[in-house]
Amino acid sequence: MRPYTYAQARSVREALRGAGPDTAFLAGGTTLVDLMKLEVVTPERVVDINRLPLDGVTLDHKGLHIGALERMSDVAAHPAVRQHYPMIAQALELSASAQLRNMASIGGNLLQRTRCGYFRDVTTPCNKREPGSGCSALDGINRGHAVLGTSDACIATHPSDLAVPLVALSTTVHLASPRGTRSVPLDTFYTLPGSTPDVENVLRPDELITGITVPRSPWAARSLYLKVRDRQSYEFALTSAAVALELQGRTITNARIAAGGVGTRPWRLTAVERALTGRPATPATFEAAVTHAADGAQPREHNAFKPALLRRTLVRALTELQESR
Amino acid sequence: MPRSQVGRDTDRVDGRLKVTGAAEYSGDYRAADLAHAHLVTSTIARGTITSIDPAAALASPGVLRVYAAPESRLALYEVTGQAAGFTENYLPLKSDVVRFHGQAVAMVVAETPEQARDAAALVTVTYDAQPPRTSIADEPHVPAGPTISGAPSSLEILAPGVGSIDAALAASDVVVEAEFHQNVQHHVGMEPHAILAVWDGDQVTIHAGAQIPGPYALAMAQRLGILPQSVRLITRYVGGGFGARVVLWSDTPLAAAAARELGRPVRLVLTREQMFTLTGHRSHLTQTVRLGASRQGVLNAVSHRSVAERPTTIAFTMTPAHSTSDALYRTPNLHVDAQVAVLDIPGSRAMRGPNEAPGAFALETAMDELAVATGVDPVTLRLRNQATAHPATGLPWSSKHLDECYRLGAERFGWAGRSATPRTRVDGQWLYGTGMATAIYPAHRRAGVVARVRLLDDDTAVVSTATSDLGTGSATMVAISGADALGIPVQRVTPEIGDTLLPPGAPAVGSSGTHATVPMVVDAARNVIAELKRLAVTADRSPWHGAAVEDLRYERGILHGLGHSLTFGRLLTTIGSPGIYKESAPGGQPVPGYVHHSFGAHFCEVRVNRFTGETRVTRFTTVADVGRVINAKAARSQLVGGVIFGIGHALLEENHLELDTGRLASSTLADYLVPVNADVPDIDVVMLDRPDPVLTGPLGDGSEDVGTGSLGARGLGEIGTVGSAAAIGNAVYNATGIRVRDVPITLDKLIDHL
Repeated sequence: MRPYTYAQARSVREALRGAGPDTAFLAGGTTLVDLMKLEVVTPERVVDINRLPLDGVTLDHKGLHIGALERMSDVAAHPAVRQHYPMIAQALELSASAQLRNMASIGGNLLQRTRCGYFRDVTTPCNKREPGSGCSALDGINRGHAVLGTSDACIATHPSDLAVPLVALSTTVHLASPRGTRSVPLDTFYTLPGSTPDVENVLRPDELITGITVPRSPWAARSLYLKVRDRQSYEFALTSAAVALELQGRTITNARIAAGGVGTRPWRLTAVERALTGRPATPATFEAAVTHAADGAQPREHNAFKPALLRRTLVRALTELQESR
Repeated sequence: MPRSQVGRDTDRVDGRLKVTGAAEYSGDYRAADLAHAHLVTSTIARGTITSIDPAAALASPGVLRVYAAPESRLALYEVTGQAAGFTENYLPLKSDVVRFHGQAVAMVVAETPEQARDAAALVTVTYDAQPPRTSIADEPHVPAGPTISGAPSSLEILAPGVGSIDAALAASDVVVEAEFHQNVQHHVGMEPHAILAVWDGDQVTIHAGAQIPGPYALAMAQRLGILPQSVRLITRYVGGGFGARVVLWSDTPLAAAAARELGRPVRLVLTREQMFTLTGHRSHLTQTVRLGASRQGVLNAVSHRSVAERPTTIAFTMTPAHSTSDALYRTPNLHVDAQVAVLDIPGSRAMRGPNEAPGAFALETAMDELAVATGVDPVTLRLRNQATAHPATGLPWSSKHLDECYRLGAERFGWAGRSATPRTRVDGQWLYGTGMATAIYPAHRRAGVVARVRLLDDDTAVVSTATSDLGTGSATMVAISGADALGIPVQRVTPEIGDTLLPPGAPAVGSSGTHATVPMVVDAARNVIAELKRLAVTADRSPWHGAAVEDLRYERGILHGLGHSLTFGRLLTTIGSPGIYKESAPGGQPVPGYVHHSFGAHFCEVRVNRFTGETRVTRFTTVADVGRVINAKAARSQLVGGVIFGIGHALLEENHLELDTGRLASSTLADYLVPVNADVPDIDVVMLDRPDPVLTGPLGDGSEDVGTGSLGARGLGEIGTVGSAAAIGNAVYNATGIRVRDVPITLDKLIDHL
C-alpha cells in the first residue's frame, strides 16, 4: 500500500473540496482497501465519506430513493424494497458475503472494480490498470470474462449484481460536484471499454454519487434476479438475469430484462424485452425471445459457453418468474 | 469408576481455546524486538535475474534489510542425505536462476509487517526470460520411479498364456476405455504459512506449522548449517495441512537466516497469493483407464496409466494407480504405469489422498462406465470383483470389511430401487441422479515413533510425543489413548505435542498419525506402570516397601496389593516423588505378510439444473472401515471434511496454468473455489468400528494392567476424500446421461448436452 493522507469529511461540500484524480472516497472500503493493498489503486488522498448524510431508503410516487451510503444489507432488508422491487433485494442478497454486505455501500457497489485476475495482479499487463500496457486476458485464462461490449483493449466483466436490476429498471444516479448536482441514467453512466478501459463511467474526478432513484413501475413488483455460478454462495456471476414482467391475463404487456456476468457493463436487453411484449407468457415465447440475446457476443477461448448460458439463464429466470406467480 | 472414552464422542481438549481465539498459531507468537519480513517473488517462470534494485525499498520507512538474489547475505547451506527429500533442491536468494513463476527473489525486513510489505513492492527486478516448459502433453515423458511407499509405479501381471495387457483387453467381452484430466489443485489451508524464528546464541527456536516435525527440523538445521539439536521446532496449533506443510519450503529458512543475520527475531507470514506458488500444489494430470470384463462384469483386465508433473525444484511423485487400480479389484491381468514430464512450474506436493483421490476418480468412474456397459448394478459389480488378496502382491489384508461398507451404505442411502437409466428423475427444473464409488487408502505404519507417559503426584498424567495436530484432533487422540491405557478419565491426561524437544512423534501425514501413536502410548503406559510398581516395592516410605512386584496389581489409576490401595498420585506423594515417567520403545515396522488399507463406500445424490447446468450435491452417505475408532466425534468430522474435499474435487477446484507464461492463473480464494457451506449437504457418515487385529492389534504379552481398548485403530484422514468425487460424477451421469471425465464438473461441460 502506498502512503496516503486520510481525512474525514462532514459534508458533501467538504468531501469534494480539492477532490481530483488522486482522491479516493472511502465508504465501506470493501473494494478500495482491497485494491489499495494490492497497489492496483494508489490514491494520494483518501476522504472518508461515511459521515455524510447520504443515507435513507424512501418510497414515494416517483419511485425508490436510496442514499449512496446505505449498506447493502440494510437495503436488502428494507420492506419497501422487498415488496416493490424484489429483484433488487435478491441481487443484493446474492452478492458477496454477509460480512461484506454489512460494510459495502450502494454507491460503492455501483463503482466496484472488475474481478479480472490480471487487473488485480500488478505484475501482469492490463490496459484498465495501466493504459497501453496490453490486455493479458485476451489470450489468458478468461472463463469469467465478458463476451458483450468488449474491445481489443479489455474484456473485463462488470462485477456488480445490483447494477443489473437497476439498469433493467431505468435507474437514475444522482451526482454532486463543486459545480452543482446532476442526474444520469445508470445505463449511460457506465461506458464501454473501447480503447480506454481505464475509464469505466462518466463520473468526474471531483464528483460523488449521492444516491439513486429507481422509478416506480407496475412491473418491478413481479421481478426476479437469477445468478448462475459454480458454487452456491460467495462467488461472482458467470451469468445473471434480472427479469420483470407486467402481464394482462397471460399476455406480456411490459418487460424489463438485463444481464450480468456477460458484459463489460450491466447489459440491458431491449431486443429481448421487445420480443416478449405482446406475446403470451409461455415457454415457447421465452425460448423465441432470447434467441438473439447474445448477438454480437465475442467469446474467447475459455468463455465460449457464455452466449448459450446467457440464453439459458434468461429462459430459466423467465420460467421461474412465471411459475412463482 | 471411569469408563473408557475410546470410540465415544470426546470434545477436543483444545476446542475452547480454538473457538475463543486463545490458541496461539505460529503467526500469533510474539518476541521482543521482533522484525517482520515480506517476500518478493518472480514474475517469470524460467530464466535468470539480470538485476535487482533495492534502493527504493531500502529508503522506505522502517526498512532494516533487503536480502536479494543472486547473492544475499543470508547463510544457507545444501541439505543432503535423507533430509534432502524434505526440502527444495536450491538455495533461495543464492543464485540468479529463476525456476518457477512465483519463486522468492528478494526479502525485505522492516520494523512492521506493513512497512515490509510496502517496501517489497518497491523492489524492481529485471529478468532474462526463457520459454518455460509447462505442458505435460508436449514435454517428454519419463517413468515416474518408485511410489511414495517404495513400490514400483509400473507393473504388469498377466495370466498364464496372455501375451500383453492389450491382448487381454482384446480378448474381453466388454471393454471400457476412458481418459481423465484434472488441473492443478491447491491445499489452501485456512492458516497462512507463518514463521517466527528466535535465536539464542547458536540455538534457534522456530514457530511454524509442520506436519512432520522431526525431519522438518533436521532439514532446517542443515539448511542453516547448524547441528540438529540446535533447532527447536514448535508447531502447537496448525490451521490445516493437507500435505502443504510436509516439507521445508523456502520461507522458513529465509526467515530463520534473516533473524540470525539481523540479530533480531523475525516473523514471516506469506500472503494468500504467495501460498499458491511457494507451498506446493497437487499436480495436474492425465489418466487413461482401460477395463476388460465378461458380459457379467467380471474383470479380466485392468490397465491404468498416468502422466503428471515433475517440477524441477521439488516434486511429489504422482502414481494414481498405486493403491487404487493395483489394490482394489481382483483381475487376472493388471497393468499400471506412471509417467511424468519435467516442468518449470512451482514445486508440487502430496495433497490429501495424493495418488488415491485422482486415481480413484479415474478407476471408479471407469467402473461406473463398465456397470452401464454391462447393465450390472454398480454395487453388485464391485462386490462381484472384490479382491480377497492384494492384486499387486497376492498378500492378504490385515483387516477388510469393504463388502459390509457397500451393503450398509446401500441400505442407509436407499440405493435399492434406483433407476439405472439416466435422466429419469426430474423435479421441476432439476434432474436428479444417484451414484456410488469405493474408497481405499493405505495404512502406513511409521517406525521410530516414541511416546512418553508421566505420572504426577496429583493423580494426573502427561502424555508426550512430537506429533502435530493439524486441526484433526491428534492432541485429543493422544489424551484418550493415554487415559484408556492408564484407566483414568481423559480430563486427567494432558497431551503434549508439537515440539521437537518431545520424543519423536508420528508424522501427521498419510492417515497415519493415530495408528502410529496409539500403540506407543500404550507401551509407554505399560512401562511407567512397571516403574510405579518398582518404586512401590523399593521406596522407603511406600507401604509396599520390600514386597514383590508380583504382589501388586494396577487398575484404573490405583495400585492394589497386600491389603493396601493407593492411587498413583497418593503413592508418589507418600514416597516424596513429584512424578515419574517412562518412554515407549520406538515403534517398529508392520508385521510382515500383510497389506493394510482402510476402505469405504460413498453413495450420493445430485441435482443438475436442466437450464443452466449447475450440479448441486443433495445427499451423501459414507460408510468407512477404519479399524478401531478412538474419538467418534473427531473421526466423523474428519470423514465429513474428507467428503467436502471430494465435493471440491468433483465440482469446483482447479487452477489453470498459463502455458505460455508458467503463471498459475488463480491466487485467491475468490478465484480458486472451494466448497462453501451452501455447497455441502448433510453428510451421513458411519464407521464400522472393526479393530484391525494386525496393524495395531493387541500387543504381544497380553498384560492385564494396561487397557488396550484403543488398539486396532487405522487412519481415516483421507478415506473420505478418495472416491467421493467419482461418486458425484457417477451421480451426474445418472442424472443427465452426460459423462464428464475432466474435473471439476462445471456447468460449461454440461449445458451443450442438456
